[in-house]
Amino acid sequence: MGSELWELFVDSFWKILLPGLKMTIPLTVLAFSFAMIIAVIVAMINYANVPFLKPITRFYIWIIRGTPLIVQLMIGYFGLNNIGIKIDAFPAAVLVFSLNEGAYCAETMRAALEAVPHGQLEAGYCVGMNYLQIMWHIVLPQAFRTAFPPLSNSLIGMVKDTSLAANITVTEMFFAAQRIAGRTYKFMLLYLEVALIYLIFSTILTWIQGYGEKKLNAYGANKG
Amino acid sequence: MRMEQIKDNMQILEIKDIRKSFETKVLDGVSLEVNSGDVVAILGPSGSGKTTLLRCINFLETADSGTMIFDGKTYDLAHASKKEIAEIRKKTGFVFQNYNLFRNKTALENVMLGLTTAHGLSKNEAEKIGKEMLVRVGMEDKMNYYPSQLSGGQQQRVAIARALAPNPKIIYFDEPTSALDPELIGEVLSVMRQLAIEGMTMIVVTHEMDFAKNVSNKVVFMEKGVIVEQGLSNEVFENPKQERTKEFLRLEENRTLGKG
Ligand SMILES: Nc1ncnc2c1ncn2[C@@H]1O[C@H](COP(=O)(O)OP(=O)(O)O)[C@@H](O)[C@H]1O
Ligand SMILES: [Mg+2]
Repeated sequence: MGSELWELFVDSFWKILLPGLKMTIPLTVLAFSFAMIIAVIVAMINYANVPFLKPITRFYIWIIRGTPLIVQLMIGYFGLNNIGIKIDAFPAAVLVFSLNEGAYCAETMRAALEAVPHGQLEAGYCVGMNYLQIMWHIVLPQAFRTAFPPLSNSLIGMVKDTSLAANITVTEMFFAAQRIAGRTYKFMLLYLEVALIYLIFSTILTWIQGYGEKKLNAYGANKG
Repeated sequence: MRMEQIKDNMQILEIKDIRKSFETKVLDGVSLEVNSGDVVAILGPSGSGKTTLLRCINFLETADSGTMIFDGKTYDLAHASKKEIAEIRKKTGFVFQNYNLFRNKTALENVMLGLTTAHGLSKNEAEKIGKEMLVRVGMEDKMNYYPSQLSGGQQQRVAIARALAPNPKIIYFDEPTSALDPELIGEVLSVMRQLAIEGMTMIVVTHEMDFAKNVSNKVVFMEKGVIVEQGLSNEVFENPKQERTKEFLRLEENRTLGKG
């Protein structure tokens, strides 16, 4: 690699990483936290077959899963502003990513809830607990353990997907890389570089996932 | 075997004419009386409705009709309110064939959880009782183990400790040793025998003829959703009146001999 290219690489590394720390990570953390709240509520509504609410959640999941994320982002930012709902790019991205990820994670959580054997609920009833106590102390913790690997995968997927927020002017990592590339015409270098940084982020998360899974398994495996 | 002086012969439970159908009639008018301190063994071939009977009187299944007098109060088995069901469950214990220990809780936590949630005890009180109960079933060494780290016999002993914890008026056992490897059956039966000696009221669905003969004081023989014969344990075993009971006891005896 020529020294000019190397200098550009080093120089732009921080210019890309910084928006990563300032935008990509906060966006991911905020949106995934909201997504988890949505997911648990929606999954429990489905699991418990709550009347009136369940059809609403099915409609929500149907819409989210049936439309592209990029289109949802466009609607959430340009669309809303277009009809007079003033919203900045970052909160719009948080909103859309939360709703999008929430729908997918809700299905993951629902499957995990349904995988908890019915005998666990019955045992809870027999010691006198009520439905919510059983959900809180027994069913949800077991479901979280089952859902941990797929939810971690969703989180890793979401870190990469936040690059789409560049389309609605959120100055996250990909946005920064595009801007430098547009100025220097070193497209290959800049896109490889931003790819590398995403790879570092995903790899770190994968390590954390592995550590978390080991920790969960140490707490008596999820069987028997 | 039983310490007669502990028994006070107060009626604790009476079931009147319980009926339940799934696709077919599973319970076709079953009535039963249990006195405080009784150990009632329910025998009968597979599919005769034994499990359904226990499940209906603890409302895991809703009976189609029937009444229950429990601890001095009368309940409609088909239309009990949530409050009534909760009240009954707080005074009863249930031991499942496949243990059903809470998989995300240690042995001690399994025993404590009902006390802290349903019975409103503090953590300290619950822990004290939890440890006492685990001592009673000989599981105090393993109190911090998760169910997956315990053998079937150990899990069932913890499940018994969990059922005992709130000091229930009666404990229902649904084939507590049927899922166990033969060498693990003894440890569970000996815990149950100890409870019987201490005067715990129990209804035990079982295929363990020795237990029914020597530990229980009453025997109920069920078939096809009805009680074919019931009476004092020694009388039913020594002098069964019904042809079907005789046949069943003969078959069970052969089965046991065959196993040994
Ligand atoms: N939830 C259920 N749905 C349909 N049929 C059931 C259900 N539970 C039990 N049965 C049927 O009721 C009959 C009695 O079952 P059960 O009470 O489990 O008998 P036992 O415990 O004596 O073997 C069986 O024929 C069984 O198939
Ligand atoms: Mg059964």
